[in-house]
Amino acid sequence: MTKLDDLLAYEVVEGLTEGQFTAEEYVISILKRIEEVEPKIHSFITLDTEGALSSAKLIDKKIREKEDIGQLAGVTVGIKDNISTKGIKTTCASKILENYVPTYDATVIRNLKENGAILLGKLNLDEFGMGSTTEYSRYHPTHNPWNLDYVPGGSSGGSGAAVAAGECTVALGSDTGGSIRCPSSFCSVVGLKPTYGRVSRSGLISYANSLEQIGPICRSVKDLVMMLNIISGKDAMDNTSMPSSPITVPNKSNKLNVAVIKELITDSDQEVAKSVYSTSEKFQEIGCSCEEVSIKNLHYALPSYYTLASAEASSNLARYDNIRYGFDYPIGEYKWDTYFSNVRENFGEEVKRRILIGSYVLSSGYYGKYYLKARRLRSLLRLELLTLFKKYDVLIGPTMPILPFKFGEKIDDPIKMYLVDVNTVIANLAGIPAISLPIGFSNGLPIGLQIMAAPFEEQKLIDASYELERVIDIQRRPNLI
Amino acid sequence: MISKEDLEHLAQISRINLTEYELEKFPKQLDKTIEYIDILGELASDDSVNLDLQELRFEELRTDEIRMSNNKQLNKNITEDGFLRGPKMK
Amino acid sequence: MSMVMIGLEIHAQITALNSKLFCSCRGNYRDLRPNRNICEICCGLPGSLPNINQKAIEYSTMTSIALGCKVPDKIMFYRKNYFYPDLPKNFQITQYNVDGISSIGIDGKYELDDSKQIRISRIQLEEDPGRIVYSEGGMNVRNTALIDYNRAGVALIEIVTEPDFTGPREVRQFLNKLSLTLEHLGVCDTLLEGSVRCDVNVSMNGGNKVEIKNINSFKEVEKAINYEITRQSSVYNRNLSIEHETRHWDDKKKITFKARSKEEEHDYRYFPEPDIPVIVLGSDFVANLKERMPELPNQRFERFKLKYKLSEHTSNILINDKKLADFFESTLKLHFSPTEIANILVTDFKSLIENDNESTDYLKNLKVKPEHIAELAKLIEGNKISRITAKDILVKIFESGKLPSEVVNSSNSYKIADEKTIMDAVQSVFDTEKSAVEDAKKNTEAINFLLGKVMKFTNGRADPKIARRLINSKLSDPEKQ
Ligand SMILES: [Zn+2]
Repeated sequence: MTKLDDLLAYEVVEGLTEGQFTAEEYVISILKRIEEVEPKIHSFITLDTEGALSSAKLIDKKIREKEDIGQLAGVTVGIKDNISTKGIKTTCASKILENYVPTYDATVIRNLKENGAILLGKLNLDEFGMGSTTEYSRYHPTHNPWNLDYVPGGSSGGSGAAVAAGECTVALGSDTGGSIRCPSSFCSVVGLKPTYGRVSRSGLISYANSLEQIGPICRSVKDLVMMLNIISGKDAMDNTSMPSSPITVPNKSNKLNVAVIKELITDSDQEVAKSVYSTSEKFQEIGCSCEEVSIKNLHYALPSYYTLASAEASSNLARYDNIRYGFDYPIGEYKWDTYFSNVRENFGEEVKRRILIGSYVLSSGYYGKYYLKARRLRSLLRLELLTLFKKYDVLIGPTMPILPFKFGEKIDDPIKMYLVDVNTVIANLAGIPAISLPIGFSNGLPIGLQIMAAPFEEQKLIDASYELERVIDIQRRPNLI
Repeated sequence: MISKEDLEHLAQISRINLTEYELEKFPKQLDKTIEYIDILGELASDDSVNLDLQELRFEELRTDEIRMSNNKQLNKNITEDGFLRGPKMK
Repeated sequence: MSMVMIGLEIHAQITALNSKLFCSCRGNYRDLRPNRNICEICCGLPGSLPNINQKAIEYSTMTSIALGCKVPDKIMFYRKNYFYPDLPKNFQITQYNVDGISSIGIDGKYELDDSKQIRISRIQLEEDPGRIVYSEGGMNVRNTALIDYNRAGVALIEIVTEPDFTGPREVRQFLNKLSLTLEHLGVCDTLLEGSVRCDVNVSMNGGNKVEIKNINSFKEVEKAINYEITRQSSVYNRNLSIEHETRHWDDKKKITFKARSKEEEHDYRYFPEPDIPVIVLGSDFVANLKERMPELPNQRFERFKLKYKLSEHTSNILINDKKLADFFESTLKLHFSPTEIANILVTDFKSLIENDNESTDYLKNLKVKPEHIAELAKLIEGNKISRITAKDILVKIFESGKLPSEVVNSSNSYKIADEKTIMDAVQSVFDTEKSAVEDAKKNTEAINFLLGKVMKFTNGRADPKIARRLINSKLSDPEKQ
């Protein structure tokens, strides 16, 4: 039998219901796994051992008393540390919020708790979600479980690495320009950025509100479906959220019209391109049609993304003046604006760069030149994609144009770092759902396939991924011990 | 080109002190970023494109009801009278 | 004579709302302990999102309609970015007119009494900041700001006019009329402390515009304008040029003073609020609202003249005091006698409330209710009491809250119509005022003097018509008993 800590989410729920083990036994096995591998991975910022154990005991009690335990009972969930958890520090991996303890739960956290999920703790990220490696975390970088010298991707690097390393059953990340899919690809796990509006953002600490969504990171497509259904739904606390219908795990194979985005392959590393091509052949083997398409406005996507994301960030992060909450910085004799500037000096370098760029593109005289053009591109791109989705069920390409890289490789050149997001920002700009699915390795480094669908067509992503997952035979767990 | 003065102005309106190191390094880095997004200038200014991704109907908005929270949101620098103590204004 | 151009920017709180603009905290923040009317949203905690109040949109639409503005089918919100310690997010959610989408009202016209039109540029809905109390000196408090966020997020309507006013008199007229309109719509109780504020811009002889900020009541606006006109004239007369600048109104010293130049350098970096989608009001919205809208002052004025046959003068007095007009109509429901009741209200009643009441909701705390006035009118019309007695009774019921009939009974104030009793009084007067009686025989004017004496003798209770008739007949026939 599989070791307890290796179980998938749906296996945990089954095992508990059938009485094969208790929730407490399961949580202890996970905590033991964390103890073993965390010194190598560093995916957690805060670990709530006591909270997890007491939740587990509560579930065991409910099982004994034959009460309803919820659809995620016993499943341990790691939470990206930019999602508000009542009573548990939520730092955004920033000095600025190092002491911040939210007074309310994000809507997704409430959903998880109501369904019996066990919160394990808070996972590492690039400060405020700005980065693609976790190197911009104020605390420590997270290491890629498949090769500890390599970055796990970002910004939800803690979430990707923790799931891959078996430190939690599943995790929540957030995705503004690829922050779920990038680490999913680099860590060889499944990650989904939902359609904009499917999942409530209430409690997600904003980096760029018009682009981001919370989404699940899991080790199987089936787990991902469970998670997605529980966190989806219209929320009165988020005016941008929308109702959606639940997703099911397909019980028959669906013949999909698949299209490969040509530019995304030609601009990728050879190893990555090769792997995606062979996957597109697999699509044909399972009875899907597969063609090649081009996206005209692709060229402008990344500049548009950085303009909009930085603009929104510069405004979203204005509230961190340390008056209402924050870290220890006495008011002293400073005049208020000096105090603000002093306090905010404690943002990390990348956060500062994006705030400055954001202020720049919104300044009078530049608004029309950058911000408005970026919004226009966004609409054009969305229109172009919606047209393609009339013909094709899903669009595919590599999630990342490159293989995972070593620490320090890109950190000195912001543009080089930004360029790794070129494939993923498309879905955020267009507000469409996109998934990253593990499809192979090159020299032991994971490769992910990105699949995109029309708004609220997550079912098609699941249909495609579930089929592929079955036919792709790759190593599922890194050799960490 | 972003001059050191431009950078200082941006830092001022963003209320962020920059370290010596950042003052040295940022102009070139921000220049490269701006140069990169300058490509957006190639796009036509076409007013016919609808920019809005999402709409909400009036009927869907929150009704005007009071729901008090626990008021525990602020817990540092609170005076005996309940005011939040901020920095000097002058 | 120099040419003056004045424009106004008025902020009126929607005091009618139960909750704030973007959260469910109380709209009425007054008289609460500091920071006890706050939540995650209005104190800008990380991850909280604005949740817009439907009713606020209705009230601001009604205001726009009343001020002759166009209301668009779709509205949007924008962020105005600036740092200030009373602003929990360091940006304000407001509206802005660019990109082809407008605020709740645009291009309005509002007529003053002499049919002069003031153009309204726009009306927008926005959130109020918190409040800063400056503590001065003291060893322990130093010179820190004391902040209270109870007001933060309260809904404000901003009304911006074109510079169409040529002097303070027009401004006063406009503000009076506006207050009346806001009150009739039920949008804003303008008498509440801090519920209305005004910024003014003044330019003379085509020179630079000077903006005066911080005028915290409509009463002060006229004083500030007068001060500014005098100041600018003296600058102009010395052949100096007037600078384009922002000044503040000091309502203790009654002067305007120059703001430090830094405050003028604002570049607000407006951009669309990503957390609030475009709100579709729909094509029927305005038409439906118009039907449900409360009557506006000028409509009411016309109705009073037409339906109640009141004079322009009386109608005007009633309309200009909404609470008095409401009281009037409540009284009519009990006893339909418009002329008599209006007469009581605009004369004796009004002078009584003006004497001892400064409070905002004087009619609410008054012991006299419509029931009292209705009964009083009935007593007068039934010839039970004289008008002179009625005034005394009114004074008594103001103090005691007793019904007029009770007062009349207990103080024996019924009108005396019994000829025998009145004749006794006439006889007494004739006995004591011998020379006046002689006068009166020659000079009919002196009869009034005798009548006055008779009335005084009967404490005003004698029916004056009967008394006059008896005096006349006694003068012509002294023996008559
Ligand atoms: Zn609130």
